[in-house]
Amino acid sequence: MELFLQRLVDGLSEGSIYALLALGLVIIYRGTGHLNFAQGEMALFSAYCVYQFGEWDIPIGIAVIMGMAVGFLIGATAEVALVRPIAKKSPFAVFIVTIGLFQFLNWLDGAIWGGQQLPNTGVGSKQPRFPHLFPSADTDFVRIFGAEITIKSLGTIGLVLVITAALFLVFNRTKLGLAMRAVASNADSAKLVGIRTSTVLMVSWGMAAAIGALGGVVTAGNAQSVSQSLMFQVFIYASAAATLGGFDSPGGAVIGGLTIGVIQNLAAGYAPDWVGQEMKVGVSFLVIVAVLLFRPSGLFGTAKVERV
Amino acid sequence: MTLLRTHALTAGYGPVTVLHGLDIEVAQGEIVVVLGANGAGKTTTMRAISGTIPRGGTVEFEGVEVHKAGADTIVRAGIAQVPQGRGTFPELSVEDNLRAGAFVRTDGNSSIAADMQRWFGVFPRLAERRSQRAGSLSGGEQQMLAIARALMSRPKLLLCDEPSMGLAPLITQELFHVIQQLNKEEGLSVLLVEQNANLAMHMAHRVYLLETGTIVASGSAAELSADDAIRKAYLGF
Repeated sequence: MELFLQRLVDGLSEGSIYALLALGLVIIYRGTGHLNFAQGEMALFSAYCVYQFGEWDIPIGIAVIMGMAVGFLIGATAEVALVRPIAKKSPFAVFIVTIGLFQFLNWLDGAIWGGQQLPNTGVGSKQPRFPHLFPSADTDFVRIFGAEITIKSLGTIGLVLVITAALFLVFNRTKLGLAMRAVASNADSAKLVGIRTSTVLMVSWGMAAAIGALGGVVTAGNAQSVSQSLMFQVFIYASAAATLGGFDSPGGAVIGGLTIGVIQNLAAGYAPDWVGQEMKVGVSFLVIVAVLLFRPSGLFGTAKVERV
Repeated sequence: MTLLRTHALTAGYGPVTVLHGLDIEVAQGEIVVVLGANGAGKTTTMRAISGTIPRGGTVEFEGVEVHKAGADTIVRAGIAQVPQGRGTFPELSVEDNLRAGAFVRTDGNSSIAADMQRWFGVFPRLAERRSQRAGSLSGGEQQMLAIARALMSRPKLLLCDEPSMGLAPLITQELFHVIQQLNKEEGLSVLLVEQNANLAMHMAHRVYLLETGTIVASGSAAELSADDAIRKAYLGF
């Protein structure tokens, strides 16, 4: 029981990170129908920035907000400067462009901060480890039904719930949200009611990258360091989460992310001999394939139907 | 007073030119109908005026040149388009569709809510389905929604793109009746393109005939139906 609870919370906490990146993927997909391959690398760049802010003695609470602002700028700039001009020529080419952006950002990280893990005393880092958003010392846990549940896990799960609730309010209670939903539903008609669709798309990309940045910072906090390969796997799981939940459903992305996190941890925990840490990816993909066979648009995605 | 005036309006898609220089006028308080067969350029005319496709020539609205403006500026100027094939937001509720229609308004939520009630009064079937997804409505209901959505922006000029398409004659009549009422009671100006000449002619103050992107005739409904050749070709009687 204790072990189960612990694995469950660990899984939810890991899944929360996938959920944050998946949310970003879904926000962009709903707006433009593009898969942003660079989502993970945008988050990584923000995480490197947060490391840098830490070196300048900026506390993590402020640094993470600055990191999200950097993310917003990267996302918005990418939409305006790269995606928009290319999408006019060929929608498929946008996918290739985001792969290019993925490589560019990864190269940029290396060019600015070098190839080693950071913080690193070898390059004179002041911070002992990458700061975590939540208390993460070995003693920071609570005992629930005998299970040791870490504060950082609970904090990460809480963070995702707060972000999800905030997004829900933005989508359903604000004019920006109405515009975003209208553009996602019918971009031509959105123009006809006076929505500046280009502004909406720019903001969508910015928001997606800002939310992803949170995921990047928590990932780095869990790993206690940031390095160029940090987000590769996380991005793959996030894509899987979005696929599982449905690429046009923000709620689905969150549930998809949490589900994948939990499945991985339970499978690796309970069947260590034939699943283990190395094979846990495989289990979640089996589940996804099974779901998609029956619901091709994902658990919560809407198959487009229109009556005339 | 002239509300809308296009001069030598041209538009097309890529290398294909569809409109070959249209001169169309709509006076304040007028219902003007553009009749044309499939492929004559009716939808292109609407889209060229509403700024959703690139166009040449000039478009003047209330004496101001608007042909360089984007679609959102055109809506703010007071032109609202009901697109062909309804063009609702299928995933959004009926209420949210109407809220989106009021996107350009800055006069506050309470007057937007009051307008919404007003259109629910005009279209009671929309009121019954206010929290349903627009995509689940019937064709006639979607057309009502598309018109109500356009009216939510409080336009001075309503552009209607073939509202009768795919609808039962009775429903088309009902819709045309609403448009006529709005015209009479509120002085709403309307530019409507149609293939269905019989129904549209009844309410038109003036009519243009559009053939392969060129205006071939214009005049009052009575004048055009008096012309034998036009009557045979377009009105079928």
